[in-house]
Amino acid sequence: MEQPTEIALETIGDVALFDIKSDVTALSEPFLDDAYNKAVDQSAGKILFKFKEDVYINSGGIALLIQILAETKKNNQQAGITGLSDHFKKIFNMVGITKFAKIYDNVEAALGQMSGGD
Amino acid sequence: MNVKEQMVRRLNSHAVEVSLPSKLGYERIAMDCSASFAKMAGFAQDRIEDLKTAVAEACLNAIEHGNKGHPDTRVLVTMNFKDDRFSVCVKDNGKGIPRIPADKTVMRRIENLEPPKGLGTYLIKQLVDEVEFNNLTADGHTVKMVIKLTDKPLSLGKRQASGGTTN
Repeated sequence: MEQPTEIALETIGDVALFDIKSDVTALSEPFLDDAYNKAVDQSAGKILFKFKEDVYINSGGIALLIQILAETKKNNQQAGITGLSDHFKKIFNMVGITKFAKIYDNVEAALGQMSGGD
Repeated sequence: MNVKEQMVRRLNSHAVEVSLPSKLGYERIAMDCSASFAKMAGFAQDRIEDLKTAVAEACLNAIEHGNKGHPDTRVLVTMNFKDDRFSVCVKDNGKGIPRIPADKTVMRRIENLEPPKGLGTYLIKQLVDEVEFNNLTADGHTVKMVIKLTDKPLSLGKRQASGGTTN
């Protein structure tokens, strides 16, 4: 029933783009950890999480994202989020994730603003 | 009849029951079913999304904590639409949630970027109009949730009879 989490990691300048092509649940932990460790190995200063618009993210997945955001803070990396539906934008605001990662309308806007070093 | 159809049972014209195995991932069947039912009842898409998340989190708690993933157990999800109220009961075989963290405790942990215990119950409380945890009976524990219809539509029966659809 549960599909493995598929994450394509792309480096654009100093931004590591996590293109998350599947749902995000507690079972996504090894996949997210692996992608994040690769981004650290590549000395990425900025991390951009891109979700598919119909993504299903449950509390287990949100907890994992919070863990990754804790790592980005520890490593002085800037974090951004894009691709979310209005519902998950609301959820991310509700739980306070947006205090640690800004939500952008699309990848282009995110890259433009994150590369600007804000 | 496919697996999904075998899990869903119509109780009457206003109620259906979904019986899920206690296995992570199956909460999506209850989510999809509640979304379809709420759409038929005339709920707006944003409220349907709220309902899906609340149903998913209640089912996840039931699977993981109530039934502890035991393969011989089921999670029963009953959905009922009546008088502009969409109610969902999620029943497991457990003994309830001993300590539901306060909202401010959950938020404080997130602000400190610590793993937030109780995030599922926090989300449910934020997304539904009414929720009752810890309804305990001899055979288990039930979470009851209600989402109210804000824009009054045609009744479910009239909508079905007219074949109308809404978004």
